[in-house]
Amino acid sequence: MTRLVRHFVVAGALLVVGAGGAAAHHGWSGYDSGKEMNLTGTIKEAGYEHPHGFIRLETPGKTWNVVLAPPSRMENRGLPREQLKPGTKATVVGYPNRTDPEELRAERITIAGKTTELR
Amino acid sequence: MHPATGPAWLVWLETSGLGVAMRQWLWLYPIVEIVHIVGFVILVGSAFMFDLRLLGLGRGLPVSAMADHLLRWSRWSLVLVVPTGGAMFIAHATEMAENPAFQLKVALIVTALLNAAVFHRFPFRAVGDWDTEIAAPLPARLAGGLSLLLWTGVIACGRLLAYF
Repeated sequence: MTRLVRHFVVAGALLVVGAGGAAAHHGWSGYDSGKEMNLTGTIKEAGYEHPHGFIRLETPGKTWNVVLAPPSRMENRGLPREQLKPGTKATVVGYPNRTDPEELRAERITIAGKTTELR
Repeated sequence: MHPATGPAWLVWLETSGLGVAMRQWLWLYPIVEIVHIVGFVILVGSAFMFDLRLLGLGRGLPVSAMADHLLRWSRWSLVLVVPTGGAMFIAHATEMAENPAFQLKVALIVTALLNAAVFHRFPFRAVGDWDTEIAAPLPARLAGGLSLLLWTGVIACGRLLAYF
């Protein structure tokens, strides 16, 4: 029962903090659109996965976790799974996560001269 | 993005064939989501209509007949809701298990099911006394009100899963 009470407290807190909460990882509110970044690097690891694809992008000095779009959207917009291979050069434009200093949400990605909008 | 680390059984679920398919097949995840939504629309929609009757709306309709019709749909909708919910859980098992919105959602579902069980075990036994045109007894109205709140909370947590 105390566990249940704790859950209700957590629920209240969640509702107060709301969708713009510190830990938000869905949608765009958890990312700082005032700090647009342009990163170029090499894909170390890629996931063409639901709910969002991702790449680990090695740039000089830092490896970023870059959040992409749902795979069905990337496929529709001409960015198939095969293009997100480790070793490939990629450039992303996006916004850093407000709390996770390693994570960036990409607005668009450019691979082999082709830019795909991800939003 | 969440690494598949945590209790062994959660890792096993997440790395299972179904877990991988849910994450990587292009259209499986959205299809499962859609079936889950259709399922809980039937589940919660019919439960709400029954709860509102307990609270006194539509008193001309016999409670026993509404229970027979509506709650049958609620129960059968679980055939859609439970497997699809399970598949989505498996896709991100280690992440979900740590997600406070998910933990609360499970607690609320358990509470809502207990509430329904208590309602059927106690006030509903005597439904013949208040079937039409008579206010339902307080325990029945409380069960109806609680059900509205609990299922609304379940839906809210389900949506908020993605934000935590």
